[in-house]
Amino acid sequence: MALNLAQRRKTNDEDDIPMAPMIDCVFLLLIFFMVSAVMKANPPFTITLPDSSTQHEFTRKKYNLFVNSDGRVSIDDQEMLTLEDMELFIAAHEHQISTLIIKADKRAKHGVVIDVVERAKMRSSKTEGLEIAFAVSEED
Amino acid sequence: MQQVGEAKLSLLATKLRERKPPTLSMAPMIDCVFLLLIFFMVSTTFSPIPGLRVQLPPPGKPSPDKPKGLTVRIANPEPGEYRGTMVLNDVVVQVEEMFNQFINAPEESKNMLIIQSERDVLHEQIVQVMDIAKQAGIDKIGFAIVARD
Repeated sequence: MALNLAQRRKTNDEDDIPMAPMIDCVFLLLIFFMVSAVMKANPPFTITLPDSSTQHEFTRKKYNLFVNSDGRVSIDDQEMLTLEDMELFIAAHEHQISTLIIKADKRAKHGVVIDVVERAKMRSSKTEGLEIAFAVSEED
Repeated sequence: MQQVGEAKLSLLATKLRERKPPTLSMAPMIDCVFLLLIFFMVSTTFSPIPGLRVQLPPPGKPSPDKPKGLTVRIANPEPGEYRGTMVLNDVVVQVEEMFNQFINAPEESKNMLIIQSERDVLHEQIVQVMDIAKQAGIDKIGFAIVARD
């Protein structure tokens, strides 16, 4: 009787699908996606990017600079109240910024955009200067 | 008799204990991991950002020599309009004819375009000029600024 029970148990165990390899794979995938995920941070205002037929592609990274039509500036979802704040923020995160992508609204004034570019450039300690790109609309 | 019975009982108890080792229930953890996996899979975007590269001179003092190249001057837009007047080498140009002007420019001046723009010109117009210049094969685009002390 006891033997019978043991046998039944054994066969039951063997019928199960082995879960361990699947869990290993799922963990690997999870870690990959967690590491590669760049969370999208929206600025506190809306922007419409200008159109351009020629464009270069830049990898999506953290710390994008947004400029809206009223001259408000934000880095990701943090609004920069003064250009000095922006300079300090860029200086603090300089090592994480390889290309500074400036997402300026179509109707943003050139003067503000240039001020931002100049400030960002001045703060960079790299000898070759910070690489800067103007983002354009994704539609052709 | 009683001793034998006790021994049997303790043997059974150890057997039972051996047969049922404590197990961690994996199912809830796997559920959570799957949920996280799906969240990260859905929220990850791999598409690149389209943009125009701006090449700037290294920080420091601007170079004293006058750079050779084309210069476009853009005036502030008139009230009610959103496009400012553009002047290329002292001649007023329209956006439509700009591409031909760039193409027909002397070869030695085609290495660089300098944009001298007033502060209230819209960013859209600047990007449009940069776009036309890149189409015409001018890769270096600079912005003229007033030096601060």
